[in-house]
Amino acid sequence: MMDEKVGPSEMIVHLGPQHPMMPGPFRLNAKLRGETVVDSEVEMGWLHKGIEKILENKTYLQGITIVDRICYLAAMTNEEAYVGCVEKLAGIEVPPRAQYIRVIMEELSRIQSHMLGTGEYASFVGFVSMFMYTIRDREDVLSLLDSVSGTRITHSFLRFGGVKDDLPEGFKEDVKRVFANLRKAIDSYEELFSSDDIYRSRTVGIGVLTPEVAKDIGVSGPPLRATGVAFDIRRDEPYLVYPDLDFKVCTRKEGDVYARVQVRLDEIRESMYIIEQCLDQMPQGPLFPEGTAYGRRSPIMRVPAGEVFNRVEDPRGEMGFYMVSDGSDKPYRVKIRGPVYPTLQALPPLIKGVRVADIVAIAGSMDTCTSEVDR
Amino acid sequence: MELPEILFNPLVRGILGVCLMGAIFLGAMAAVWFERKLSADVQQRYGPMRVGPHGIFQLVADAIKLFTKEDIIPKNADRLLFVAAPIMMMGSVFLVLVALPFGAIIINGDTYPIAATDMDISILYIEAVSAISIIGIFMVAYSSNNKYSLLGAFRNFARMIGYEVPLGISIVSVAIMAGSLNIVEIAQAQSPLWFIFKQPIGFIVFFIALMADMGRLPFDQNESEEELIAGWITEYTGMRFGLGFFAEYIHLILGSMLVVLLFLGGWNLPALLTSNNILGIILPTVFFLLKVVLVMLFIIMLRWSVPRFRIDQVVDISWKKLLPLAILNLGWVIALGLLGV
Amino acid sequence: MVIKNIIRAVKNIYFGPPVTRMCPEVPTRLSDRFRGLQKLDKSKCIGCGICANTCPNNAIKIVRARVGPASDKMRWFPSIDIGHCLFCGLCIDQCPQEALSNTKVYLTGIIRYDHCDLLFTPDMLAREVDINAEKEAGKEVSRWTPQ
Repeated sequence: MMDEKVGPSEMIVHLGPQHPMMPGPFRLNAKLRGETVVDSEVEMGWLHKGIEKILENKTYLQGITIVDRICYLAAMTNEEAYVGCVEKLAGIEVPPRAQYIRVIMEELSRIQSHMLGTGEYASFVGFVSMFMYTIRDREDVLSLLDSVSGTRITHSFLRFGGVKDDLPEGFKEDVKRVFANLRKAIDSYEELFSSDDIYRSRTVGIGVLTPEVAKDIGVSGPPLRATGVAFDIRRDEPYLVYPDLDFKVCTRKEGDVYARVQVRLDEIRESMYIIEQCLDQMPQGPLFPEGTAYGRRSPIMRVPAGEVFNRVEDPRGEMGFYMVSDGSDKPYRVKIRGPVYPTLQALPPLIKGVRVADIVAIAGSMDTCTSEVDR
Repeated sequence: MELPEILFNPLVRGILGVCLMGAIFLGAMAAVWFERKLSADVQQRYGPMRVGPHGIFQLVADAIKLFTKEDIIPKNADRLLFVAAPIMMMGSVFLVLVALPFGAIIINGDTYPIAATDMDISILYIEAVSAISIIGIFMVAYSSNNKYSLLGAFRNFARMIGYEVPLGISIVSVAIMAGSLNIVEIAQAQSPLWFIFKQPIGFIVFFIALMADMGRLPFDQNESEEELIAGWITEYTGMRFGLGFFAEYIHLILGSMLVVLLFLGGWNLPALLTSNNILGIILPTVFFLLKVVLVMLFIIMLRWSVPRFRIDQVVDISWKKLLPLAILNLGWVIALGLLGV
Repeated sequence: MVIKNIIRAVKNIYFGPPVTRMCPEVPTRLSDRFRGLQKLDKSKCIGCGICANTCPNNAIKIVRARVGPASDKMRWFPSIDIGHCLFCGLCIDQCPQEALSNTKVYLTGIIRYDHCDLLFTPDMLAREVDINAEKEAGKEVSRWTPQ
């Protein structure tokens, strides 16, 4: 908590809920002495929609469309966490082809989320044109997602036991063409970032997060991997077909703002590699388990009573769903553990002693999505 | 050639002055249109397209919008300063206009510059008067009673104090090389060879210091939109904001004119192109304005391609990097002068 | 120092064509599976109400409507409140007789000024009443190819 008493030549500035800086409304109270930050605190809650309560009144199938909208940028991983919970409770086996399709969609979702995060961060440092470059390249990825599920961001694509539709024809050629352009684009972004002295002087050595502080607070995802800790749920607690795929966990050692942006760009490359492996390895087969009632036209499900915790690797960190079911067709309680809430709590220790211009750089590099913080 | 008697009539002078101000406003509108279209080109999109062909009347629509907005003065703001500040900024910009030539007419080998006055110390006057706009910006920020504007004002002062010195020293080196403080004579002294080739370091120092003076990216900390909402002009609405906004763009035009006059040769053309009377009237001015537009486009494009500095890095650059370069350039010019080049 | 950024900007000015489109004049490229307004086939609908149960937002209500434009018989058909519809496609998936189908209408015919105009009756959903919809949508049905 921040002390409200102001000394001489100090003032409290509210980087308030309406601000061109952060995506979504949250408030950062900062006590400034001149241009340096002495103390700060983060306030959230302006975007609370009551999703957890809403889910208690919807059946499991209707819940898929609602869970989609927790963080619209990472829609597929939200759905995967929710659907995985129900499948664990009801004991449903997902056939291999559907698992591969799920992995492909989630990695595509990860790619487009990281591209938007990188572009948005560049616009916070004053580099508006980089935002436009990444948005333009992100359109290709969104069109791939569009051709499979029908929409660009809120897909409602997963069903219990499989996926809604198969991949369209010619998907593999489209992916090859898009990825050839995307690799060149990511290389050009890395070159533009690393060769620009102004950008380096704004980001190298700023906002250094140490592994101890990160593990203490519970930060996960790219901010944690940029400090050197190689923790990735796809490797440590694998789900779907990740044990069969070969990819590396991208880490950096410095832990500053520059490293976090670099980790995201590296992860885009790893995701492209994963998708290409999936397209090569994918078997033919049914999309839903044979001999069960689960299909595209799912029945009204009564999930057996129990509780389960399922976590997946969101583009922003570790996303977990804790579901309690009492045997009826609606969940009794769903608790969502979002990845960005702890990441935002890491902000006050990081911005102590930096200048106002660095607050924006550090907060932007955490890639927050306020919708996920408040739910 | 003696100027005709009619030009000394105060009424005629008044009308010419008003026409000049109108032309400058149109020039500022054109500059804003250039900025919006050029930023759209860099980002591979269209820019204004609807109001008039390719959006050339977009600024007229914006001006009408600004005129019809409600005028809000915050409750605890200093009313006198709040009202007077944009007028002061505009005033300082127009004071600079008095001494800058807009082109020249070359008849029979004699050059007649198109300038409002003919001062012997015009370059000194221009630099002194353009520093008044700093006070204008600080009045804007101080009178708003707003913490964000205050932060913008502090940054503005730090930036201006640092960059006036290299700017002044590079102007002095140009004056030494030309041998006079009169801007018309400086422009004419570049007849065979432009000054940019004789003192390239001076050009770089002057250009960077000018960008900081005008408040363009990468030096626009006082109005950085991400941190300070709109910085120094947060509380201004309607035409008060319009005055400050246009004052910035007129400053941009004047800055590019200064660059062309001091370093890029002004209106000088090879003698055979101006031998004809008709060509001698039109060509130098057209050539000069073309160079001004090119420099302006370059400055605008620079804004959309690089990120922004932090304020302590800005002050760092001015005192530790630009000032030694400016002094080095001054020494170089003196050495050239002593060697008789 | 910052030269590469400036070169990239200059390259975009000269060699980069605009990638945005002038909205109403140039039609959007929609994918094959794009989810737009639903279309009702009155001959197949049995009025079971599964679509109304499935809708996450309770946007579908089952009302009485005439069976065809020239008949007097009334049956139960779904009417959709477009203002609350998520266009998620669950009603289309769950219909046992496949009476609801997908179209690519997303712009003309759907955008209205009052909420009461957004309550699409079964006649409008079956396109017996003209909603000026198909005129604009569905022209460029092709997989979007990146440039």
